[in-house]
Amino acid sequence: MTVRKGFFKFISSMKFAVILLGVLAAVCCIGSFVTQNQTYAWYTARYSERTAALILALHLDDVFHSWYFILISGFLCLNLLLCNVLRLPAIIRKTRGGTSFRERLGYWGAWITHVGVLLLILGYSLGQITYKEYAAYGVPGQSMAIGDTGLVMTIDDFRIDLRQDDTVEQYTSEITVYDLASSSEGRKAKVSVNNPADLYGYRFYQNSTGWAADVSIQKDGTDLQKDTVCAGDYLVVADKPDLVVYFNAFYPDYVMVPGKGPSSLSGNINNPAYLYSVYFRGQILGMNVLMQDEVLTIDEYSVRFSNPQSYTLIQIKKDSFTRFALIGGLVILVGLIVSFYVKPPKRKEEDASS
Amino acid sequence: MLQVENTLFTIVMISYFASMVLYFIYIAAKKEIFSKIAFALQAFGFVLHTVAIVCRGIGAGRLPLTNQYEFATSFAWGLCLLGMIFILRFKFYVMGAFISPVVFLMIGYAAMQSKEVRELMPALRSGWLGFHVSTAIIAYGAFGVSFVLGIIFLLRDKLREHGFLDQHIPDKQKLDLIEYRSVALGMLFLSFTIITGAIWAERAWGSYWSWDPKETWSLVTWIIYAIYLHLRIRRGYKGKSAAIFAVIGFICVLFTYIGVNTFIPGIHSYK
Repeated sequence: MTVRKGFFKFISSMKFAVILLGVLAAVCCIGSFVTQNQTYAWYTARYSERTAALILALHLDDVFHSWYFILISGFLCLNLLLCNVLRLPAIIRKTRGGTSFRERLGYWGAWITHVGVLLLILGYSLGQITYKEYAAYGVPGQSMAIGDTGLVMTIDDFRIDLRQDDTVEQYTSEITVYDLASSSEGRKAKVSVNNPADLYGYRFYQNSTGWAADVSIQKDGTDLQKDTVCAGDYLVVADKPDLVVYFNAFYPDYVMVPGKGPSSLSGNINNPAYLYSVYFRGQILGMNVLMQDEVLTIDEYSVRFSNPQSYTLIQIKKDSFTRFALIGGLVILVGLIVSFYVKPPKRKEEDASS
Repeated sequence: MLQVENTLFTIVMISYFASMVLYFIYIAAKKEIFSKIAFALQAFGFVLHTVAIVCRGIGAGRLPLTNQYEFATSFAWGLCLLGMIFILRFKFYVMGAFISPVVFLMIGYAAMQSKEVRELMPALRSGWLGFHVSTAIIAYGAFGVSFVLGIIFLLRDKLREHGFLDQHIPDKQKLDLIEYRSVALGMLFLSFTIITGAIWAERAWGSYWSWDPKETWSLVTWIIYAIYLHLRIRRGYKGKSAAIFAVIGFICVLFTYIGVNTFIPGIHSYK
């Protein structure tokens, strides 16, 4: 046997499949134990510097997108493909010898399962390469462009349904999406957790929520600007772009806990407070908590936070291969049912004799 | 209703414990009658267990499959159900002495969890919850049975010295076959679990696969059993190697359920 033939035989063998599966399982285990997608500083803080360097060198910080993970998956696909192609003539021969549909079908179980796994891996991989994802957030009344999609989304309403015990039952956003390329009226949809909406080829998900507030700035007692800013976002002073007010966090029921810092006693707006930072040319000037109606004075500017409200974050996604992967999953199920429960007569006899 | 469930749960624990002791007595005393009583007690406990879970569901006003306690008690229920089915199907009462401690340990674990009924977070309020978790219960139950059968297989030669056990435990070939049947059932249902979970995750989190530790470990478990199925059809690997993988597979199942929730936080950590 030539080396080439030997190699071909090996990569199409079940032995190679078992080795690949074992390695894949081991890599997945590592990926589950090492927190993924963190920075070098994060790993250094958690482990030692040497371990952090090793994690980054071995791509353990993003195992599931590492070159070796893709290589293993690629070899697994190749192995499955070769296995299915090489076994096909024998299966067809056996099927022709079958007397009933059930008997004929019985030979196809593993073959169908392998096709399903192939479809699933291909669907997932293609989805990973081609998917598009955007996030849009704001309060009711705001409109925003959605990345490079050519779509604009208006948030018509956002509701947080609470139960009697103040736990959240559902988050619901009512949105209207406009396609800038067409002059037609926008399409309205209601989006809640577990109930995404499909509009213009994109799927809109209710992702999360947070606090927003109106931030107004006066200069020498005259109104300069007013905007709704979400916590985690910032406002650039209109006539002094070097000066930035950053809205760090909102505490609806503010209390200062010694040793812990600012906190909130409840989710109800009983004692609203705003944690802010001020930056000038990228350098932090200060950080503090501002109570409702309190005024922050920076030179000739007066900053005021008011009207705290919940904002909604909508995730927008397009993954044309999700259905492909789903079909792969369903084919696996069919293949397993055929493998385990539609047996050809020979295997039935073996089972009976054992 | 929740008080009724609490009382029933205690009776169920006692029934399972008594059933386990009777299975041990059956082997020690070598009298068939004890196996029948042990099985009857196990069945009695199972019926009450079913009623307890239904009471919990009525009391909570939702499917009782959402927190660590509810899944642990359902896991024990699934183990008991699958154990009884395999005992009856293959007239293999000695297996009761091996499966009943696993059932008892699992319900003991459930007893240590908080029984507080909490309202569901929005992501869990989905019709997919029932499909996803109930298929996991059947899968885990079937894998529990295969674990027990793997242990029996590995101990089979040592048990040969015990004349009674030698007579009442099937030969290795049949043990291997029964183990295969339970793995096959578990594999099918685990695949259902993963696929229904992926469909649900896509609707709730916008991504059908996020490499969350729970997802990753369910995939690892699936791979381990896939290796088992491949090894079993390879000459020379049937039997012992397959039995070892059946044991490793269930350890992965336990880690997926308990270990991941305890040690690795992720989006599945509903404690």
